[in-house]
Amino acid sequence: MSAYLTTIAILVCEAALIGLALNLQWGLAGLVNFGVVGFVAVGAYATALLSPLVGWLPAMLIAAALSALLSGGLALLSIRLEENYLAIVTIGFGEVVRLVLLNEDWLTKGALGIADISRPFSELGVASGNDIAFLLFSIALVGLSFLLLEGLARAPFGRAIRAIRDDPTVSSALGKPVLALRVRAFAIGGAIMGLAGALHAFYLTYIDPSQFTPIVTAYAFMAVIAGGRGSNIGLLLGAGSIMALLEGTRFLKDFISIIDGTQLSALRLALIGVGIILLLIFRPQGLVSEPKRFERDVFPRANERTP
Amino acid sequence: MTVRMPRMSRRTVLAGLGAVPLSTAVKMPAIAQSGDIPIGMVLPFSGPTGPYGPDMKKAADLMVAKINDAGGILGGRKLKLFIENSESSATVGVAATKKLLEVNKVELVGGFWGSPVALASKPIILAANKVQMLSCAANAVTEGETKGLIYRFQAKSTQWGPAGAKVVTQIGAKKAVVLAQQNPFVVAMIEPFKKEMAARGGQVTDVVMYNPDQPSYRAEVEKAFGGEPDAVFCLSLLTDFVSIAREAYRGGFKSKIVALSIGADAEGKFLEAAGAEVGEGIHHLQPAPPLDSPSYANFVKEMGAPAGTVFLFAGNAYDQICTTALAMEHAKSQEAAVWAKSMRAIGNGPGEPVDDVIEALKMVRAGKAINFNGAGCTCDFDDEGNTINRAFYVQVIKGGKNQGIGTVT
Repeated sequence: MSAYLTTIAILVCEAALIGLALNLQWGLAGLVNFGVVGFVAVGAYATALLSPLVGWLPAMLIAAALSALLSGGLALLSIRLEENYLAIVTIGFGEVVRLVLLNEDWLTKGALGIADISRPFSELGVASGNDIAFLLFSIALVGLSFLLLEGLARAPFGRAIRAIRDDPTVSSALGKPVLALRVRAFAIGGAIMGLAGALHAFYLTYIDPSQFTPIVTAYAFMAVIAGGRGSNIGLLLGAGSIMALLEGTRFLKDFISIIDGTQLSALRLALIGVGIILLLIFRPQGLVSEPKRFERDVFPRANERTP
Repeated sequence: MTVRMPRMSRRTVLAGLGAVPLSTAVKMPAIAQSGDIPIGMVLPFSGPTGPYGPDMKKAADLMVAKINDAGGILGGRKLKLFIENSESSATVGVAATKKLLEVNKVELVGGFWGSPVALASKPIILAANKVQMLSCAANAVTEGETKGLIYRFQAKSTQWGPAGAKVVTQIGAKKAVVLAQQNPFVVAMIEPFKKEMAARGGQVTDVVMYNPDQPSYRAEVEKAFGGEPDAVFCLSLLTDFVSIAREAYRGGFKSKIVALSIGADAEGKFLEAAGAEVGEGIHHLQPAPPLDSPSYANFVKEMGAPAGTVFLFAGNAYDQICTTALAMEHAKSQEAAVWAKSMRAIGNGPGEPVDDVIEALKMVRAGKAINFNGAGCTCDFDDEGNTINRAFYVQVIKGGKNQGIGTVT
């Protein structure tokens, strides 16, 4: 049982990393990214291909850098566009990545995928020891990313991108470099998605294009919406509860005789959909609302001061 | 400050009462009792390979019930089968495999339909020293390190190619084009197909590849059929083949179509989706279950299907349960690493041929040598754990029905 929980915990870490990144891009900076899965896939493949050549840690860092570079470039290309057009461009990016992975056999081994990716800490021995070391590493990675992003959100950078999200024209009039800030936010998010991809490749030790379908993007958005757009703590809760729902429902059929495997798979997604709808009706700001969203959050006695 | 107590309204009470009948559906947790032997399967119930899951589950459930009703194995112990959905996805399949291994403590993880799921789960199963059984997956799964724990119940993908070439040349086609999905299982068929075509004096003029899950296949169909080859060898799965066959019909192309039964039959689902007119004249092939054997006829009857129905993967699921039970009985152990060594002893012979599992179990208990033949294959394995002796069964669609026209080897 404990090893199964380890698996779930590692999957939660991966979902949390992706969610944290999306929370920066979409939650704070207001940049819709429907191509999340593309950046995760780039990170995974770069790690898988490079780690035999340069070792796992440099491979992970290069994967993050590559993913950051790509997302920065994509943001530069399309960021002058309105929000919806950016969304379309990112959808396209996600698809392009998947098609390249599927068809460029010489690099990615095509549909066959890359097998036997060696995982860090595997020298610690088989089974549980190695899994737990990897889990600790994943948690550390999530912790570091959380601290970094939370720091950014509280820093002037965070305030500026939130201002841009709420009104780019006003921010621009106040002298904020809107384009540069947006590209930076997008690139940092991309880097963290790349890291999540690296984690995925290391954990599964086998990757192929069929693992990087748009459902990954959908789960990331669900986590952000459930957790509360703009709140990193909420995101961790959101990612955790989405994964808990997904995996927890796996046990339903062991307990309830009228549900079989065929219905369960449909039911699981439906349950999450219902959950999100209920959450949006009863708690539209998500599990944890964005800190310091309104004037009264910053100046609690603002109303008293006004004559 | 006032404390508000939750008040039970009439509606709450009604809703509660309404839920009472549901509670009868709640059963005790399906944790194996101490004497039970847990085994598991990862099957697809949704996604592109979803159509195969339900029949495989039915066959496996049937077999487990049959063995348990006849007194179980290893001195009266029952098999306890856990089934998880792979959703045709590697990530989900890995979590499902982990759950089976860690929570249910299974000795076997069988079922596996689809290369990504099987390849991603392989290292986990091997690390746990349990047995992996494959229904349909690329060659790569049984290549490399297998510890003798991996068994394949279906033809390797490379075996499909030459069989396809034989069908193409038998229907009088010389010039053929391959239209294939980017998929590891299917891609491995192309080179052996070309080689066999050349050996038979034919020619493959073009290979057109396409990506799975496209909204339309018009461009690919026009490219493949446009040069008017004698035949197009379509290496497709169900959903894409339905669109391709419709597109080829609409375009009025005259080339003959030879396809895989996993696309052009899929246990009857192709004709349901595409209709008789579109299907007319399509030849398709698949590794043959032993159609003439009494065990297969019996299996079809147990599945509640009309006599002569060709089940492919359901038969594999059935066989996986049978061979597991027999190997455990033969090795007198439920320990995967131990009974895996008995797989060839009960399947390959030499010994008395037997196709009823209850009969076979009795013979094993009596210490007799047996050669078990299943409902999906003859259960003979080579050194890598691949099944051998595969014949391919060829059918043609005529008037909305599949007609068998013989086997090729």
